[in-house]
Amino acid sequence: MATILVAPASSRSVRDRRWRTLRRAARARLAPFGATVMLLAISVALLAPVVAPYDPLKQNLDNTLARPDRTHLLGTDNVGRDVLSRVIWGTRVSLVAGFGSVVIAVLAGGLLGLLAGYAGGRIDGLAMRMMDAVLSFPPLVLALALGAVLGAGLTGVVIALGVVYTPTFARLMRGQVLAITAREYVDAARALGAPGWRIAWTHVLPNATAPIVVQASLSVAFAILAEASLSFLGLGIQPPGASWGSMINAGRGYLQQAPWIVFGPGAALFVTVVGLNFVGDAIRDALDPRLRA
Amino acid sequence: MAANQPDQTPIDISRRAFLQTALASSAVAPAALLVARGAGRAWAQETPKKGGTLRVGFYIEAATMDPHLSGSKIDRQVYHNIYEPLVVLDANLGIKPGLAESWQQPDAKTLVFKLRRGVKFHDGTDFNAEAVKFNFNRMKTEPKSVRKGETASIDTVDVVDAYTVKLNLKRPDAALLATLTDRAGMMVSPKTAQERGAELERNAKGAGTGPFVFVEWVKDDHLLIRRNDNYWNKQGGPYLEQIRYRPIPDDTVKLQSLQAGEIHVMDYVQPRDVAGVKADRNVVVLDVPSLADFAYQLNHTKPPFDNRALRQAVAYSLDLEQIVKGVWLNVGVPANGPIPPTSWAYDRSIPFIKRDLAKVKAKLAEGGKAGGFTFTMTTNNIPINVQEAEVIQAQLAEAGITMKIKLVDSATLLSDGNGRNFEMISYQWSGRPDPDGNTYQFYRTTPGTSLNWSGISNPQIDGLLDKSREVSSQAERKKLFSQLVRLLQEELPMVFIVHPIEPKAFSPRVQGYDPIPDGMMRFKDVWLK
Amino acid sequence: MGLLILRRLLATIPVLLLVTAGVFALIHLTPGDPIDAMMAESVDDSVKRELRRDLGLDRPLYLQYATWMGRLLQGDLGRSIRNSEPVIQNVGRRIKPSLQLAGLAMAISLLVATPIGILSAARRNSTLDRVGTSFALFGICMPNFLLALLLIFLFGVTLRLLPISGYVDPLEEPWEGLRSLALPAITLGLALAAVITRTLRSSMLEALSEDYIRTARAKGLGDGAVIRRHALKNALIPVVTLLGLQLGTLIGGAVITEYVFALPGVGRLVVDAVFARDYPLVQGVVLLIAVGFILSNLAVDLLYGWIDPRIRHR
Repeated sequence: MATILVAPASSRSVRDRRWRTLRRAARARLAPFGATVMLLAISVALLAPVVAPYDPLKQNLDNTLARPDRTHLLGTDNVGRDVLSRVIWGTRVSLVAGFGSVVIAVLAGGLLGLLAGYAGGRIDGLAMRMMDAVLSFPPLVLALALGAVLGAGLTGVVIALGVVYTPTFARLMRGQVLAITAREYVDAARALGAPGWRIAWTHVLPNATAPIVVQASLSVAFAILAEASLSFLGLGIQPPGASWGSMINAGRGYLQQAPWIVFGPGAALFVTVVGLNFVGDAIRDALDPRLRA
Repeated sequence: MAANQPDQTPIDISRRAFLQTALASSAVAPAALLVARGAGRAWAQETPKKGGTLRVGFYIEAATMDPHLSGSKIDRQVYHNIYEPLVVLDANLGIKPGLAESWQQPDAKTLVFKLRRGVKFHDGTDFNAEAVKFNFNRMKTEPKSVRKGETASIDTVDVVDAYTVKLNLKRPDAALLATLTDRAGMMVSPKTAQERGAELERNAKGAGTGPFVFVEWVKDDHLLIRRNDNYWNKQGGPYLEQIRYRPIPDDTVKLQSLQAGEIHVMDYVQPRDVAGVKADRNVVVLDVPSLADFAYQLNHTKPPFDNRALRQAVAYSLDLEQIVKGVWLNVGVPANGPIPPTSWAYDRSIPFIKRDLAKVKAKLAEGGKAGGFTFTMTTNNIPINVQEAEVIQAQLAEAGITMKIKLVDSATLLSDGNGRNFEMISYQWSGRPDPDGNTYQFYRTTPGTSLNWSGISNPQIDGLLDKSREVSSQAERKKLFSQLVRLLQEELPMVFIVHPIEPKAFSPRVQGYDPIPDGMMRFKDVWLK
Repeated sequence: MGLLILRRLLATIPVLLLVTAGVFALIHLTPGDPIDAMMAESVDDSVKRELRRDLGLDRPLYLQYATWMGRLLQGDLGRSIRNSEPVIQNVGRRIKPSLQLAGLAMAISLLVATPIGILSAARRNSTLDRVGTSFALFGICMPNFLLALLLIFLFGVTLRLLPISGYVDPLEEPWEGLRSLALPAITLGLALAAVITRTLRSSMLEALSEDYIRTARAKGLGDGAVIRRHALKNALIPVVTLLGLQLGTLIGGAVITEYVFALPGVGRLVVDAVFARDYPLVQGVVLLIAVGFILSNLAVDLLYGWIDPRIRHR
């Protein structure tokens, strides 16, 4: 992970720097594509009731596994539901799974990392041991067991993934805290009598956000993929709702007869994940001083 | 009755009929079989060849090689080739001699078997009355024995002479003979059982009497059995040199393995694959009607289904034909009760419950929920269950009932069922040859934990079930079961959906397979071209 | 150095304690129990109760944990409930296919990723680079099970080139064994190759921008030699780290691949054990996976320190 060299934090130059970073990110070649994909995904998710041509739950047992045509652009599935509408509505579920789990991970991990980095000593030791324990736990087993305990719905998966990604953010935040609090201006602030939380708020957090944002964007992509994998093992959104992953899993037995059931959501999944990667890469490249030359 | 229900008389499948069905359901056209279309008899007389290794793919591997400790269905598939029961089933579910040549019932509480002579266990010891007595005692007293319930009606076993054994029953049990066609009647060599102890679960060398002998079991990889050249039955097979069982958990991969020629036999073709497989020239599909019944249990011990009118409302909301057509793709027939069409006790004059939205409204009102109600269905997380649940959800919604779906894994399903922690729960019973096996333990009032998940306790039903065990005439028992089914449709401990057909798929090289509706694959007379 | 290793190992003990406590609590919280799962079609309630008593499943949780920990400290991981075999035996049987699969996947990934990563970096922003980066992106974003299904369809069913299920031990039958592992190894290997390509490309770019490279070029060294002699060694360091970290994932996490290709590996073992609520097996395997993960991390750290002198003396 690129270490960010941080200049003394005065509020205006922080804002300027962030603007410059954003502009640089925007100039990266594939960033516009990534950004477009993300905006598209988010708007589709929000506008699903308006955009979807059919009710995603409406079954039609007389028209199952229909090929894509003008009436059903992506064909119909094994109970005659319109695949395109389900993919559109599935955007909500996949984005909730992806963003939800990362939000949990960022909040939990960030808090833990902040605490550990700041408090140091025993608390730091304990927190990091816990994070190591979570990291060495096989993630699939964790998700399966949590799913069985919490009930197999989407909530269980989001929480499970949140737990799995927490150590990444905890470590990241802790690293940032350690790096930043070693700076002289923090010593200066302390010498001036500023309380710990204020230092955390004005100095640590603003500078730590950048790498966290980068990691978060990549983690969202992985979380969306992970949710798809978990649905393979039977976890995730309960029927008749669907996520892209559960659609791929349900359609997997029909791959030879009706591949569109799998490729519709598969393509959506792929494009979204790719878009997220582009956005994350663009931000990361923009922030990396070594590649500025 | 639905327009496209297949013939429901118990199927009599002779070798020729099998071939005709196979030919009709696949477009296989090697020259020999083309000739057979017009000259089935000539084909049937082609001489079986000895040799070859049959590769069989099942979805999981066996759990144990000890039939007395076995609780899993896949175990039975292997057992029916290496062990033999006292009596066996034929294609009409009739009971025929197995290791017992004949039997008599001098009175309702006594069963006398005359045993076949000259049969040896694979370890060389003789099969005789002492061995039978040993086996029944083992089933009843071995701590981990799973056969205790099945042999509960047997009190003591007497050795009358070397080849005659007498079972003294605690009470009349008309279903006992049918139970003895499976694991409860399978004879294990006393010498091997005693010597090997717990190892028997993993190593069954020498333990059986069947046409094949256990060779080895490499866990998670394969199980190998080979031809018993000293098999007592000199008619017909065994022909195959070896049989190799392999677990392939993924359905699609299993089918593709068959299509690619990596395996020769697979136990079950998913309904969604059946049409495609029937059109495939490399595969032969056999539709085997099964003994199974798939249903949903309704919890009588708490709301909303403690209210009979609401149960009936749900039953009238379902369109079974649509479910069987849309979900099961007609690989099965709508069910009128727990007794499958293959059984002699099946009463085709009782129709399955038809959809009737007007009756739904009436029943809802009767149950005090004129505006509809909400409940949760718990079901297993496998694709076809999910699909069926979604279709049912839509059907109920049309009738004004809101159903939520809760997906769980099997361990949770069992736990929820046993603990009566459900409102409506999916239940799939693989079926038993005697109708008692599909009914008694589910509907009889039973205290404590049992398979009676619905908690139904109805004295009339209890009476019918008990009587059906006491009475020995099949005609009389059939009448009792018909009464039972009508009562079950009223009281609804379960909502019955479908009696599935279990299509089995083979490579065209496989010859001589004789299907029996219990779904067990017996390879004694099978040979490879 | 020895002291460092010892200190690191001691530091892992609290972590492992947390892992064992975590898995114990979690698996016992899941609804359902192994006896019910094993004897699903049985009516014998008394038999079930006796079995539970035999296995100690009716005692309070903290007692069960204490008993398990006690046995663990004596080196006994317990027995699987389903097949009564020691956990160690169950794992031992399954670890070989998993290790072989992981090894083969890593080899394939390196074979694919190394040339692409190096060329992408060497010819930055060229078409080759763009193709390489696209490939990398594709591999990372492609759901693993979808790739498996497509490969099966292509190579197994349509072309009939490779077996699509089952496992043959390459150590016993080299050719058949490799063929049986080919499709699953390619599935895992391609995904890994994608990740390695990216890492290698960026670390290669970094290495190539160093001053000493400019010096070497100024001295007249050609591109190939520059890469081979100077940049590659340094660029490979993060790749090695990555591989080391991925080893744990490849072994415990290749569940879906193992499931789809019917390979008797550790991943499937533990997932099946969770579904069957086979408590001792789940606890034992998770512990072993955690130990493996921690040890491989330690090994990578040490290797890293050994390769890069700057870190060694920290």
